[in-house]
Amino acid sequence: MSVHAGTADRHEHLDHMGLGEQDPDAARGNMLLAVKLGILSEVMLFGALFAAYFVIRSESPGWPPVAGLERPALFLPGLNMLLLVASSGTMQWTVRSARSGDQSRIRRWTRLTLLLGTIFIVIQGYEFATNGFGLDAGTFGSTFYVLTGFHAAHVLAGLGLMAIVATRRRRGLVSAEHHTIVEATSYYWHFVVAAGVFLFLTLYV
Amino acid sequence: MTSPRRHLWIAAAIWAVLSIVGAVLVSGIQIMPVIASREAVIENSAFVLLTVLSVPVLMFVVVGLAYSAIWFRADGDEADGPPIHGHRGFQTVWLGISFALVVGLFGYGAVGLIDIRGAQVSDFEVQVRAEQWAWHFTYPSAGVDSQELHIPVGERVHFIINSDDVIHSFWVPAFGIKQDAVPGRTTQIYVTATVAGTYPGLCAELCGLGHTDMRFTTVVNDRAALEAWLRQSTPSPAGSQPPASGSEQPS
Amino acid sequence: MRALKPGLLRAVLGAAIGAAIGAGSLILAGSLGMEITDGEILGLGYLLALIGFLLGIGAFRFWLIWATGREVNAQEEHAAHGTAGDWRRYFRFTTDHKVIGVQYLATAFALFLVAGTFAMLMRLELAQPGLLLGKEAYNEIFSTHGAMMITVALISIVGGLGNYLVPIMIGARDMAFPKSNAFSYWLLPLPILLVAINPLLGGFDSGWTAYPPLSQQANLGQQAYLMAFVTVGVASILSSINFLVTVFRMRAPGMSLMRMPIFVWALTVTSVLGLVATSIVASAFTMLLFDRVLGTSFFRASRGGDVILFQHLFWFYSHPAVYIMGLPGLGAILEIVPVFARKPLFAYPLAVLSFISIGVMSFMVWAHHMFVSGMATFFPIPIMLTTELISVPTGIVFLSALGTIWMGRLHFKVPMLWVFGFIWAFLIGGITGVFLADVPTDLTLHDTYFVVAHFHYTIVGGAIFGLFAGTYYWFPKITGRMYSERLGKLHFWWFTLAFNATFLPMFWLGIEGMRRRVADYPAQFGGVNLWISFAAFNIFLSVAVFVFNIVRSWRRGPQAASNPWRAQTLEWQTASPPPIQNFDHIPTVTTGPYEYGSGPLIGVPAEGRSTP
Ligand code: HEA
Ligand code: HEA
Ligand code: CUA
Ligand SMILES: [Cu+2]
Repeated sequence: MSVHAGTADRHEHLDHMGLGEQDPDAARGNMLLAVKLGILSEVMLFGALFAAYFVIRSESPGWPPVAGLERPALFLPGLNMLLLVASSGTMQWTVRSARSGDQSRIRRWTRLTLLLGTIFIVIQGYEFATNGFGLDAGTFGSTFYVLTGFHAAHVLAGLGLMAIVATRRRRGLVSAEHHTIVEATSYYWHFVVAAGVFLFLTLYV
Repeated sequence: MTSPRRHLWIAAAIWAVLSIVGAVLVSGIQIMPVIASREAVIENSAFVLLTVLSVPVLMFVVVGLAYSAIWFRADGDEADGPPIHGHRGFQTVWLGISFALVVGLFGYGAVGLIDIRGAQVSDFEVQVRAEQWAWHFTYPSAGVDSQELHIPVGERVHFIINSDDVIHSFWVPAFGIKQDAVPGRTTQIYVTATVAGTYPGLCAELCGLGHTDMRFTTVVNDRAALEAWLRQSTPSPAGSQPPASGSEQPS
Repeated sequence: MRALKPGLLRAVLGAAIGAAIGAGSLILAGSLGMEITDGEILGLGYLLALIGFLLGIGAFRFWLIWATGREVNAQEEHAAHGTAGDWRRYFRFTTDHKVIGVQYLATAFALFLVAGTFAMLMRLELAQPGLLLGKEAYNEIFSTHGAMMITVALISIVGGLGNYLVPIMIGARDMAFPKSNAFSYWLLPLPILLVAINPLLGGFDSGWTAYPPLSQQANLGQQAYLMAFVTVGVASILSSINFLVTVFRMRAPGMSLMRMPIFVWALTVTSVLGLVATSIVASAFTMLLFDRVLGTSFFRASRGGDVILFQHLFWFYSHPAVYIMGLPGLGAILEIVPVFARKPLFAYPLAVLSFISIGVMSFMVWAHHMFVSGMATFFPIPIMLTTELISVPTGIVFLSALGTIWMGRLHFKVPMLWVFGFIWAFLIGGITGVFLADVPTDLTLHDTYFVVAHFHYTIVGGAIFGLFAGTYYWFPKITGRMYSERLGKLHFWWFTLAFNATFLPMFWLGIEGMRRRVADYPAQFGGVNLWISFAAFNIFLSVAVFVFNIVRSWRRGPQAASNPWRAQTLEWQTASPPPIQNFDHIPTVTTGPYEYGSGPLIGVPAEGRSTP
């Protein structure tokens, strides 16, 4: 392979860069691509779980198969879904305000998204507690809790990211120039919301 | 100094000779050790075809390697070889041939499988129940339950297979047929035994400690002998003569 | 006080504390009257031990700083790459991809030796009809052997050679995410240890495939295996992401995709497979874990679960996984052939295309492991077609190798010998694979030693031969020293002969009807098995030669030139071993990677052309 020492100034720049740091726009692109790839493998994860759900359900006589089991009522979960979808919107507003660099707006939208996400978790927890059937309630309980549980865990992770965004903003590290973390979080969050909606439509409706 | 074209011809000649000789040599042999069923015959023929076809493929690569290893050594000469990046014609031929091979093999295999699993008619039915670590064969026609498998020769036997605990696999090598016994499901296969005799049967799927010893005996007999065996091992009213060997009271 | 600095010592401490807290709290709860299962104790203990280990090694250090909204100072981050020539960095959380590569290689080889020793135990049991170690012991031994060797095949080339070479080969300073790179390596030691000690937990005896319901009956060791596998899966997902971002975004100017060395291409496709497929098996194993620990019933037939479902999910990952093991080897081979044939790689674009199509097609063939499992009667037919079709792209790799060798100027240095061995072994493995893909023949061959022979020819041929070839080829680059050519040749001939003597007879055993996964067999197979055990022990010895050669040459082998093979890819255009930042100047690439025979190349640094 024929090579000669880099001359183009971008690479001069690369050359004189220490190892730790990276050309900022390069770092940004890397991070966003990584998040997209990560989401791809998450999609496969939920894909497998849903596949299991559909196969088992299609094979069982009725759904729920065990007598005396009741599908959870629609109202709370439905409300929860709406909250989640709304949080997707507020998340997008966070990104917008981050692009414009307006700190007070970033703060407001981040907090709102955090709030919605937290309420979702609380309601979900309440539902788990009052459902009247458990993990060990045959295939029905298994699929229900494992799928919703995995999703809830993802929501929690998303909230974690959001909290990081909030802290970094408070330290003045989120601005019109530096908001990769916000965008990355938004990608992930939108995915979690989408998964949640799909979950709602398959498990509850 | 031999020209590239010469090298190609010589190698091709060697390959052709070896392939033909090899193919002829293997084409005759019976590969499966025991063939006692219609299905086993089909499988053996598929096996032979695969072996015959794999000879030229194997020889092509081997001759290519060996010939180069002998003729194209650098022996300390530091010069580079010719800057050849590819050869469209050769690549297309290679693709075409391997594609054709695959499609051919697939066709033959598919026909074979349809032949094996296709004709789902049952002259004689046996229910197979597997558990850790034993086999139970029930003959609904006679209400007999035995740990020995008895089937008629020359008739299409329908096996209905279940498992009580873990996955086992019902296998009589001489019939060339294997079918997992799956808890919570019923699987089935059809076999037409062609040669009367006694054959070993095995459990082919790892099922725990006893897997190694999970064997059974298969007896292939003509109808008359089979009927006789069934009659004599039918659970008779209490106080009669003890049941014949190889049978057990249904629980 | 030194113990409190991030490092192995603190990591071990952290793991111990984590395990103590996790297991301890549950045991306490148990003693207070709640009913706690061993499974739960093991689970929580392992989880916290893992976290404690990572905290101790310093894996979260930078991320915590970043998350709490402080800026990581560049000095420290730079220091995390370690200083050249300091051996201690190999035992630390070091972010230099070259260090990480060596860490992977060492780990993989250690694991290979352990699993190989297990193989020797298996051959001991099988040397004679009758029982020696006993059925239970045997089941646990081959299960552990399989599980460990699969891990070896998964991580050795990708994690080892891949981490070390890919950034250099594409002219980058490091991976895109050095910290997550180190993180995914340090995820491995604990699960590996867990699998190694699983006999203490009662062992697991249901094979590396872990089919339920058997795996639901098995001992605690089974759970250890499942948890370990999931952890390794997470690690390989992370490193897949890392590879893909690196390859797609960090290439040096002029390094277009079609100028990438074929090895990089192989690892790219491998990473896509790892990224997409791994989370599937992770979820399958998680469901199995929950069935065991939390009382769910995904795979419990008695409670409406589906047993076959697990097999579908497992193989939907595990067939692509066999290409995760195979492709890096194929890539390494095609990388080495042009150098020792002094000819450009034959049909390079077609080879790239074949890698990609292998990757895509490997998702359509999973059910060829389940022909007799009781799927729909004729579902095997399309699967048979796709499976046999994969032979075509795989064949192209052979076309490239042969086409390159033909009319070349062959230098039979040790790496080239391994290439020839590879082609032979993988050819046998591949062709017998087609025998298994043909349903009528698979009906008899399934679960016999024919299968065992097939996959040792493909995995050992594909992964281990490739690993040896690559290790010898890049040894001068990685260590700056030359291995002993004579010992290398001895290792090659001894290993190759012993390998074939071991596994060729297994095809016959399989055809004659010897089942796999049995501790005892009919007397008629006694002679052949004794021979196999004898040959297998020779493999063991030959590997000892390799270990000796590597260790000695690393310590006092002759200094190696920066480019002893007169190769043209980028990793040879920098010093041996490369400086911490890989290149003094990021190179600009102007031609393809294999321009042999096209006269002297413009711009190749003088030292880049030094002769052996
Ligand atoms: C690196 C690992 C690896 C690789 C690369 C392969 C490659 C292939 N494997 Fe294998 N396989 C395994 C590892 C691997 N396998 C393992 C571990 C198992 C057992 C798992 C277990 O149960 O424990 C297994 C089991 C297995 C089975 C199930 C057997 C059974 O349990 O009943 C089958 C069935 O179809 C199969 C088929 C194939 C095929 C068709 C290929 C093809 O990709 C091969 C393609 C290559 C060639 C064909 C040779 C080169 C081609 C040419 C020279 C062109 C011309 C040739 C023709 C046109 C034919 N393999
Ligand atoms: C990478 C994959 C890999 C590799 C390399 C090997 C290598 C070997 N394997 Fe296998 N094997 C599997 C993967 C692999 N295996 C899998 C997946 C299974 C299926 C398990 C299951 O059914 O669930 C299996 C199953 C399996 C069986 C079938 C068990 C059964 O079904 O009953 C057998 C039987 O002989 C066997 C033998 C061997 C032998 C003799 C080697 C030899 O080649 C080993 C050679 C290597 C060594 C011997 C190590 C060298 C160590 C030293 C030299 C020590 C020196 C050290 C110092 C000096 C510091 N293996
Ligand atoms: Cu039953 Cu193996
Ligand atoms: Cu496969």
